[in-house]
Amino acid sequence: MSEVGVTSTGRVVVKVVDLHKYFGSLEVLKGVSLEVHQGDVLTLLGASGSGKTTLLRCINHLEQPNSGEIWVDARPMGFRIDAAGRRRRAREADVNALRMDIGMVFQQFNLWPHMTVLENIVEAPLRVRRWPRRDVHERAMALLEKVGLVDKKDQYPSRLSGGQQQRVAIARALAMQPKVMLFDEPTSSLDPELIGEVLGVMRALAEEGTTMIVVTHEIGFAREVSDRVIFLHNGLIEAQGTPEEVILNPTSERSRQFFSKILH
Amino acid sequence: MLENLQQSLEAFDLALFWEYRAVLLPGLLYNFYVFFLTVGVAVGLGLVAATLRLSSNVVLRWIGTGYAELCRNTPEYITLIWIFYVPPLLLSAALDRNVSFSPLLAAVIALGLASSGYFTETFRAGISSVPRGHIEAARALGMSRSLTMWRIVLPQAVRHMLPEAMNQMVSLFKSTTLVSLIAVPDLLYQVSLVSNATSKGLPLYSGAALVYFLIIFGFATLAQRFSDPWRQRSR
Repeated sequence: MSEVGVTSTGRVVVKVVDLHKYFGSLEVLKGVSLEVHQGDVLTLLGASGSGKTTLLRCINHLEQPNSGEIWVDARPMGFRIDAAGRRRRAREADVNALRMDIGMVFQQFNLWPHMTVLENIVEAPLRVRRWPRRDVHERAMALLEKVGLVDKKDQYPSRLSGGQQQRVAIARALAMQPKVMLFDEPTSSLDPELIGEVLGVMRALAEEGTTMIVVTHEIGFAREVSDRVIFLHNGLIEAQGTPEEVILNPTSERSRQFFSKILH
Repeated sequence: MLENLQQSLEAFDLALFWEYRAVLLPGLLYNFYVFFLTVGVAVGLGLVAATLRLSSNVVLRWIGTGYAELCRNTPEYITLIWIFYVPPLLLSAALDRNVSFSPLLAAVIALGLASSGYFTETFRAGISSVPRGHIEAARALGMSRSLTMWRIVLPQAVRHMLPEAMNQMVSLFKSTTLVSLIAVPDLLYQVSLVSNATSKGLPLYSGAALVYFLIIFGFATLAQRFSDPWRQRSR
């Protein structure tokens, strides 16, 4: 694979090859390929309906692509090759196992309302990873420290602001120690004054070298934090490269239109 | 005029009810007996039918829906009599020997079927009230389907459905008074026996009404007390 505008030299964590996805007769992804290297921050930009969220959801198999391949950490996601060399649907246990290594943060936070903040964070590490309770709790507290919510550990999510809920959701995903973090419009349902605190946490993660794929409308954030930007249009990659190349000096007409609307 | 009044007052003479307590109150045990057995049957069948209704398979979904509608929309009174007489006849013909249902068995099956229809709907609504995003969050963390059901969906679903399920149990308890129809010796059946024997039925019915009221009111109040704080937590 060619390295278009890639600055890092780490190994490939996520590889997508010629991905197609239909919803009924509507083709939302029309053959998308990309690679994300360890420590990279990739931002997916594009108008609504461009397929960026669907692409993200295909990576952890919340959506099943119709064709194409996804590899996470060199393991196939959602398919396997049988002894005869034929492509088969993956076993559910294999999908679950691979998902443990993929953190996801949703637009709607999706914290579980019947569990406290701490319980939300330790649930999957305890019951899916089956890591020892004491380690899990220690790490959960360290993560709460990192997102600045130690004093909220025994609260139920309904008592938290949207920004606080989203920071807990980030901590919950990180508690599994994933190899890559997916962010699906993490600030889109937040009040404007709460967006900064979530972007702050994400910025810190990026600086620590977390591998991230981010779908967002926060162009400023994308410019500042991304190593690479992909601009999607109608299910195809219209432009990709460094933030400077894609956002500041767009070469295609469509991306010029898109960014001029957003930047001004 | 005065005589009439006195006669009507006699209808509230609870002393008579008390006098026959040794015959009447054991009948009450049958109401509880029928109630607990029926709850078991209804909740079990309701869970199965709710699972069918939530299945991704169209045929299974259709069977679950058909079952629930059939149970819900047939009067319990008729279900009770039908179950008492018809299945034994069919079984007798099929097995070529004499089959009959004891009144208690028929009562539990009939009331169980009837209220399982309501439980099906309550369980289904409770389970589908859990937002899709909560399930996706669990699955995205690598949780299996069953773990997600057990840890994320059911705890929330139970909180949602609790008040409704409690109401249904209260009306199920009321329905247990129907079983006297097929001679299950519950409180109401005993009342009718004594009333036939003594020709002083009205005070006995008043007493029975009061006893049922106190039990059901107590149960409903307890149910509310129990479910309120538990629901609050999920908000």
